[in-house]
Amino acid sequence: MSKTTIIFVLLFLLLILAQVVVFNHIWLFGVAIPIIFIYFIISLPESLGTGWVITFAFLAGFLVDIFSNTPGLNAMCCTVCGAVKRPMLKLYVSHDEEMANSLPSPYTLGGITYMKYLITFTTLYSLLYFVILSMDFFNFYRLVIRIISTSLLSFIIILALSYLFNPSPSKKK
Amino acid sequence: MRDLFNFLVRYSSWFIFLIYFIISGFLLISSGPYQRHVWMTSAGSVASWVYDGSHNVTSYFHLRDINEDLQQRNGELEREIAGLRSQVRLLSEKVYADTMTVPSVFEPFDFIIASVTSNSIALPHNYITLNKGSEDGIEPEMGVVDQNGVVGVVNLVSPHHSRVISMLNPDFRLSCKVKGNEAFGSLVWDGKEVDEAVLEELPKHTVYTDGDTIVTSGYSAVFPEGIPVGIVNGTLRDEDDNFFKLRIKLFTDFTRLSTVRVVVNNDLDDIVVLEKGSER
Repeated sequence: MSKTTIIFVLLFLLLILAQVVVFNHIWLFGVAIPIIFIYFIISLPESLGTGWVITFAFLAGFLVDIFSNTPGLNAMCCTVCGAVKRPMLKLYVSHDEEMANSLPSPYTLGGITYMKYLITFTTLYSLLYFVILSMDFFNFYRLVIRIISTSLLSFIIILALSYLFNPSPSKKK
Repeated sequence: MRDLFNFLVRYSSWFIFLIYFIISGFLLISSGPYQRHVWMTSAGSVASWVYDGSHNVTSYFHLRDINEDLQQRNGELEREIAGLRSQVRLLSEKVYADTMTVPSVFEPFDFIIASVTSNSIALPHNYITLNKGSEDGIEPEMGVVDQNGVVGVVNLVSPHHSRVISMLNPDFRLSCKVKGNEAFGSLVWDGKEVDEAVLEELPKHTVYTDGDTIVTSGYSAVFPEGIPVGIVNGTLRDEDDNFFKLRIKLFTDFTRLSTVRVVVNNDLDDIVVLEKGSER
């Protein structure tokens, strides 16, 4: 098993554990839930086939659903986000060679591009998540507030995680 | 055949996406509070093992608040006992006291103490996981209360854990009444605030004021009569002219649930037999 595979398995377990044990119980101002385990899907290498990305995304969502008593909710959001991951990244990265064999991070994509990619991903996830949830209690104003606040909160935490898990290239030297 | 194979390989990502999307959709639609697969919930063995571990670390955090609640409840109970003692003394002074027994509302009920290992409040359908299961005597349809009031009803049980439908779940309805009044209504969560619910179908002739205590009616085998639920916090407009709809401020603080009591109704078997008999 390669070093990258081991790192991703550990990242997968760590993020899911953190989500279900800590972040699922945070409900900021009664509207925002930090969804941080999607960082695993965001950081999957671009060289990985779309089928594999969707499979890992589904598995991550399915596991979080088991712990959260929300069968199918996160699995569906993750499946959709996994499927559109590559087209989403292409919105901001014009040349394929820039993405080839690289892990999406602030250093490989550049800070601004990475932030755009991140906010698009977290917004799409929050949108899907709360639209599905709102089938029970629909309130447009509350729905919009929840989508915006959750995507922003998740964006900030995931951005911090991105810098934490990806040491600066200058430090590596 | 070769073309078909090439087609499948070329669009394999789309097929994989469709398969997972359909599985997720099926799980989403078919999941309800009475799903039978315990392993797919927080009461499953792997999930509850993880939650037990985190509970061992976090259970100390709210001890100060819980202790204050217990002290307050203890004070209320002591005051109630003092009142009941004076009533018993008055009764025993009467001539017929020797042959009279004072009934206790809790007589047919026992309690099993359990700890909350997981609790959600932010979802439209919230659940609670307890660290006790069927081997501890817990069964589905048992009521759950804490030191402040009603918490929910057990709905799924594994040998060592159980999942409770929280009061913050629209699938849970509780028969309640205004304390000191026999008219009853149905309490349900409307998904808005974690400390409020709505008491529906309360007959228009019911007399109440804001701040009145709402208690369980005892018209189900799940909870004894008189368990505190909340206080009246305003009247809502109801489409039906014959009923009131009240906003209720809940006593139970769902943001820091820790230790709860599962209500065991010793008469439940008799009640079930009786109800089945009357259905025939």
